[in-house]
Amino acid sequence: MIITKFKARILTSGLLVATMLTVVAGASGGPASATAKKSPPYLVGVPMPMTGAEAQAGTQIFNAELMAVQQVNKHGGIFGHPIKLLEQDDACDAGTAVNAANKLISEGVQAIVGGYCSGATLPVEPIIARAGIPYVMPAANSPELTTGGYKNVFLIDPSGSGDGAEAAAFFKQQGITKVFIIDDQSSFGVAIANAAAADITKDGGTVVAGGVQSIPATSNDFSAVISQIKNSGATGIYWSGYFSQAAQFATQLNAANVIGPNGTAKFVVADGSVDATYLSGAGAAANGTYATIAALASGVGNVLNTHADQAFNVAYHKEFKSAPGPYSTFGYDAITALVLAARHVKSIKPGRVIAGLRSLHFNGLTGKVSFDKTGNRLGAVMDLLEVVNGQYTLANPQPKL
Amino acid sequence: MSLLLNEIGNGIFLGAFFGLVALGYSMVYGILRLINFAHGDFYMVAAFVSYTILGAVLVGNSHGQWLTVLWVGVLVMVITGGLAMLANQLVYRPMRRAAILSLMIAAIGLSQVLENGVLVTPQWGATYLVFPVTTPPSGFNLGSNHYTWAQLIIVLVSGLLALGVYFLVGRTLLGKAMRAVSEDRIAAVLMGINVDLVIAIVFFIGGALAGAAAVMTGVYYGQINYLMGFTVGLEAFTAAVLGGIGNIGGAVLGGLVLGIVQSIGTGIFGAEWAIVVAFGALVLMLWFRPTGLLGERVARRM
Repeated sequence: MIITKFKARILTSGLLVATMLTVVAGASGGPASATAKKSPPYLVGVPMPMTGAEAQAGTQIFNAELMAVQQVNKHGGIFGHPIKLLEQDDACDAGTAVNAANKLISEGVQAIVGGYCSGATLPVEPIIARAGIPYVMPAANSPELTTGGYKNVFLIDPSGSGDGAEAAAFFKQQGITKVFIIDDQSSFGVAIANAAAADITKDGGTVVAGGVQSIPATSNDFSAVISQIKNSGATGIYWSGYFSQAAQFATQLNAANVIGPNGTAKFVVADGSVDATYLSGAGAAANGTYATIAALASGVGNVLNTHADQAFNVAYHKEFKSAPGPYSTFGYDAITALVLAARHVKSIKPGRVIAGLRSLHFNGLTGKVSFDKTGNRLGAVMDLLEVVNGQYTLANPQPKL
Repeated sequence: MSLLLNEIGNGIFLGAFFGLVALGYSMVYGILRLINFAHGDFYMVAAFVSYTILGAVLVGNSHGQWLTVLWVGVLVMVITGGLAMLANQLVYRPMRRAAILSLMIAAIGLSQVLENGVLVTPQWGATYLVFPVTTPPSGFNLGSNHYTWAQLIIVLVSGLLALGVYFLVGRTLLGKAMRAVSEDRIAAVLMGINVDLVIAIVFFIGGALAGAAAVMTGVYYGQINYLMGFTVGLEAFTAAVLGGIGNIGGAVLGGLVLGIVQSIGTGIFGAEWAIVVAFGALVLMLWFRPTGLLGERVARRM
């Protein structure tokens, strides 16, 4: 195991170089015109997974933040201060994230707008709180994130506890009482799995196999788990983890005749598994599976491919030559929230910006943005999505909470 | 009871992959006493190479795609074997007189180069790539478990490849040369054996086996990622140690035992305990048999 640790350390330092290159490229690619004014730049730290298994989502969010910053800087920045993003790789890992946050703070950032993996944002919260600067998270949404009592934390993505409640309501609507719940051992996955287990039990259902199960996020083989599911007689399966494993799980459940044309069970995934890669990875096996996600997220962000999605998608594609992810618009709104808060209080002092975020109301790409006392996004409504012919659609009927 | 039997079936399938990758670890260890930490990354690179080739040759060609997968698989085995040979030539061969610890650190470095190389390669990168081929869900029932034909084919192919290596090492002149180099490199040179060539061939075979495992992983599991080699490398290394590192049969047996123990661990204790059970078994095993399951042949490694 010493080797593993050692390897991880080398990995981190090796990737630091790669990250720095990205930052330089990002900075040189940014708008130079806005720096014509004399005001010093407003530094915003962006810790995001740029390497590792979640690098894809991290990049998609960071790119959207860059887009927002370019727009703001084109229109004079924040009272003449051009925004400059300083990116740090958190590798979706607690230890790396702590180093990244410390580094950003020592570089003098005036706000942090980042975070996709809850496991990499939780340990960073007290560090950023001590620095006294605003911490706006585009996509991390474990329910634990807003229970620490930090005044500077704001979640653009509504708390994940809604996922569990929505899934429980769906199982109840379907008359499914025996549910097999499994998470990926990540902070996000475990928190939502436990929330779902509590809601299902409250609704009179049973969590089979002696409680919530976990599988390492690195596993791609679910055969042993599937035998467990068959043995337990569960007719509902709830996956609380990320999209790559969700696709493999669905494919293998389908091949084992647990779900799909020859199966009888219903497969539901939490919002971390909503992604185009889930659809392409699981292929036909994805059809007839369900996902829960904040209504704000499914409305915009190329999941349902609505009209509003397309304008953003086109602009994003033009800039980065690739499609945005489901959380890209959240990154865009996170930057917008910060800028509007600063403009609202007419100050870039961290304490004032935090106060500005607290009383913020605006219409973003993800819908109405405002926060409650703990920093949770207000007005979160969950949608149940069903995959039909390889596309996400709104399930009909929606379960009643 | 039926759960137990099902989990053994699942474990054999899982173990087939571990065994193939473990063979490469074991053979290189047998001949150089080097734990080649870059081996899992040969497997990862092979997965990306086969992804690209399959994507190019399968366009609009849905008929006879299994024949295509077969020849692409063979091609990727040759390419990965060549990559392993090249790695040996560029990294390990110049360090032949260095301490074994330096070689191991070089192996970790090579592993980083391969992972980050794939990360920065256009069209590859950090994203999960979805394989252009999927296996059909049709298959057969055994006990209360449903296995697909693809799973059966994968186990058979792995078995045949392992058997091939077993005969190559045990029954051919080349195999005799390998065993000679493994036992005493200097004496082997004095007997007129081209040691460098033999070592290069061992790397080629190990790489080719990892290539085969990678193609089968891509086709069966459907997704690849630039970090996939690390986990597999660790599991395969464990399998090699469990079976008795340096021993051909041991690598395969270790792979199967590891797969079965993990699956049974999942079935009985839950998936979060699978790795604890597997490594617990390894610790116990090493306690009573420090040389691994087939370790008594330690004097005649390879």
